[in-house]
Amino acid sequence: MSRPVTQLTLRLRLPSTMSAAVGLIAVMAAVGALFPAVGHSIGKLHVPKSVGNLLGGGDYGTVTGWFRSEIAIIYAPLVIGALAITGASAATAGEEEDRILALVLAYPIRRSRLIIAKAAAIAAVVLIIALAVWIGLILGVALAGGGITIWHITALAVQLAFFGLAIGALAITLAAATGRRSLATGVAAGVAVLGWLINSFAPLVSVLSWLKYVSLFYYYTGHDPLTRGIDLPSLVVLGLVTFLLMAIAIRSIERRDLRA
Amino acid sequence: MQAGPVIATRGLSKDYGSGRGLVELDLEVGQGEVFGLLGPNGAGKSTMLRLLLDLIKPTAGSARVLGLDSISDSLEVRGRVGFLPGDLALYPKLTGGGVLEYFTQLRGGVDRRVRDALVERFDAVLDRPIRQLSAGNRQKLGLVQAFMHEPELLILDEPIAGLDPLVQRSFHSLLSEVRAQGRTVLLSSHTLSEVERVTDRLAILRNGRLVVVDSVENLRRVAVQRLEIEFAAPVDPAEFRALPGVVDAAAVDATVTVSFEGSADPVVKVAASHYVRAVRPQDGDLEDIFLRYYRTDTT
Repeated sequence: MSRPVTQLTLRLRLPSTMSAAVGLIAVMAAVGALFPAVGHSIGKLHVPKSVGNLLGGGDYGTVTGWFRSEIAIIYAPLVIGALAITGASAATAGEEEDRILALVLAYPIRRSRLIIAKAAAIAAVVLIIALAVWIGLILGVALAGGGITIWHITALAVQLAFFGLAIGALAITLAAATGRRSLATGVAAGVAVLGWLINSFAPLVSVLSWLKYVSLFYYYTGHDPLTRGIDLPSLVVLGLVTFLLMAIAIRSIERRDLRA
Repeated sequence: MQAGPVIATRGLSKDYGSGRGLVELDLEVGQGEVFGLLGPNGAGKSTMLRLLLDLIKPTAGSARVLGLDSISDSLEVRGRVGFLPGDLALYPKLTGGGVLEYFTQLRGGVDRRVRDALVERFDAVLDRPIRQLSAGNRQKLGLVQAFMHEPELLILDEPIAGLDPLVQRSFHSLLSEVRAQGRTVLLSSHTLSEVERVTDRLAILRNGRLVVVDSVENLRRVAVQRLEIEFAAPVDPAEFRALPGVVDAAAVDATVTVSFEGSADPVVKVAASHYVRAVRPQDGDLEDIFLRYYRTDTT
């Protein structure tokens, strides 16, 4: 790994990351503060099962269900996914398209080290967002009147961080293999959204329920970390996917021409 | 000290599949040479430079740089080479100082006194973001990062692009110092006036192929020359077209521009049969030299 590359990549991503982190904390605090006022009435809503699955069960009557639907299923993975994907694409394919990489790689640094250093910076971005989710949930749950333990909040943040790492690794792999920022961003975002849809709808159709296992989203939240804690097998899967994707990314960029 | 050639390519080829690239390039550059690569855009100059640095892989052939294989020893090659890419791009959000600090750390082992002396020499702007700098000011930073570790070999793609005449002079004197120290420079340009001032030898590339390698002096000798002759009254340019060696003659009002190869004697003698107000030799440019080699190539 190259420390200057990691430091610079992180420095360039830090303004957007910190804005998102502060925004996340503020939103989660607001969501928590809203619960005492609306939780009782909104909890009586009858949500169709398909819609409920999209929203993490649609159980708005409890603090756990409220945060699962409002934060865990949509908002947190959306923010972490967006920052991981755009950051990974910009730091690799973006710099290549902007012709900056042609100069950087004329320095004595292996392409593998460069990619690992960029990935380390994106991992730091992911961890900052996961930490913000952790802080925001603690604050939000407190404002909602309590109901989720620190352990379960930590479990969600950890599962989310591993999900963000895997999605970021996917974007880096696509960027390293093609050198095209828009392709890496678009395909990785598509995979993330498709994973969310598969994870939500596949269980509704028994013959397709196995599809959920191909969704990264399933390994993030399928085990419901807010009520059941950390799921080690899911973390292992997400970790292996990240590792495998990084190996592919390194192999891809080592073998191809840098784009002019 | 490098015993053999600093750069040696054997059948070096790059096929992009679009007709452009590099075709079986055999070229040697010796130690202490300032060597120019000349050719229009798309001739294969940048392709060759990128191949030497392993930024792209050859389709066939090989290259040795500083006695090392350009692919298997690429890391060591890049450690000993300074590179300025054509169409330089830097991190737009960083200041000039931030960019140089980043490259200093990335390179490792840079003597900051040498770097700071280069900054002063080129009057590089360090305190403003790259996105606010002119192309010339960005190019100065590019030159500083290429020279700052005092490399054995400098590979410079269109180095004076955007530089004002004063900075160009600084750059040329720096090249002279580098040559005097026995270091080697390979620079590319599409402008003859740039390379003729600083290079010992140059190669002309056309459509990815090496057309000629020779000294600037020899190339000038065979180049098409141009004379602009201003007469007191209009003169028929056909008088000149019939002369031996004349490639072209065209008139605008009372001024005739004659392009010719070899001796100027017949042109001057015909001109002298009229009242001549002024004779202005035109600098032979790249097109003139190409014209010479296109003709040789196609006959």
